Amino acid sequence: MSWPLGLEGTGGLVVGLLAGVAFGFVLERGGLGDPKKLTGLFYLEDFTMLKVMFAAIAVTAAGIGALSLLGVLDLSHIAVQPTYLWPQAVGGLVLGVGFALGGC
Amino acid sequence: MNGTRPYWSPYVAGVALGVTLLATYLLMGFGLGASGAFAQVAARLEGAVAPGRAQANPYLVGYLEAGRLWAQWIVVEMVGVLIGAVLGAWTAGRFAWRLEKGPRIGVGRRLAFAFVGGATVGFASRVAQGCTSGVALSGGAVLAPGAWAFLGCSWPAGSSPRGS
Repeated sequence: MSWPLGLEGTGGLVVGLLAGVAFGFVLERGGLGDPKKLTGLFYLEDFTMLKVMFAAIAVTAAGIGALSLLGVLDLSHIAVQPTYLWPQAVGGLVLGVGFALGGC
Repeated sequence: MNGTRPYWSPYVAGVALGVTLLATYLLMGFGLGASGAFAQVAARLEGAVAPGRAQANPYLVGYLEAGRLWAQWIVVEMVGVLIGAVLGAWTAGRFAWRLEKGPRIGVGRRLAFAFVGGATVGFASRVAQGCTSGVALSGGAVLAPGAWAFLGCSWPAGSSPRGS
């Protein structure tokens, strides 16, 4: 079996539903259903968002790196977001403002 | 409320989220997202209300030609997110119908700010080709340079409104 599986059709949608359920469950249990915990990061009062996000990024990045080194995972079939530096920087700026406005 | 379970340690939640994201990459070849589902729905809404306008917009046509809404991976995933979040709150004894708001703000103003903030986030997510989930989290985990530019910009920008 070669990884990633790259599931399509119904199998992919079932994985999507289950991944979504896990995503929503973990975010809620981690406290990120609370808007005060989201915006708390901007005011340097609550670092939950930062801790959850960077722990997740570290686990996934380490996992993908290790599986690729072991020859289990083919990195060329992993989708990497294309780089549009200015749009992504400006999008980040505007999104930050929107989060602070909407989450108070 | 009695019998409410405390939140997990953020590190436990982060590791659980990382395992979920890693499994998604292994099975699908791509990561988790969120804002794309709203774009899928919005494109079809415009297609239903103003078909001529939607068909003339090359950006929206991409969504309209993707096929049925319920066959879109990110739409199904977002339905899962809603189910998972309700399950998480329910099984923790936290589920309740209420408006989360600060002590000094009225209901109308809170909802107005939420609407404007939501629209701003939606717009920003199209500019950056994704949001906190699709760009910052999933892109960050595969070390996409744009994801880190996005992360670096969103934090200070979010901190600025309180100063004004």
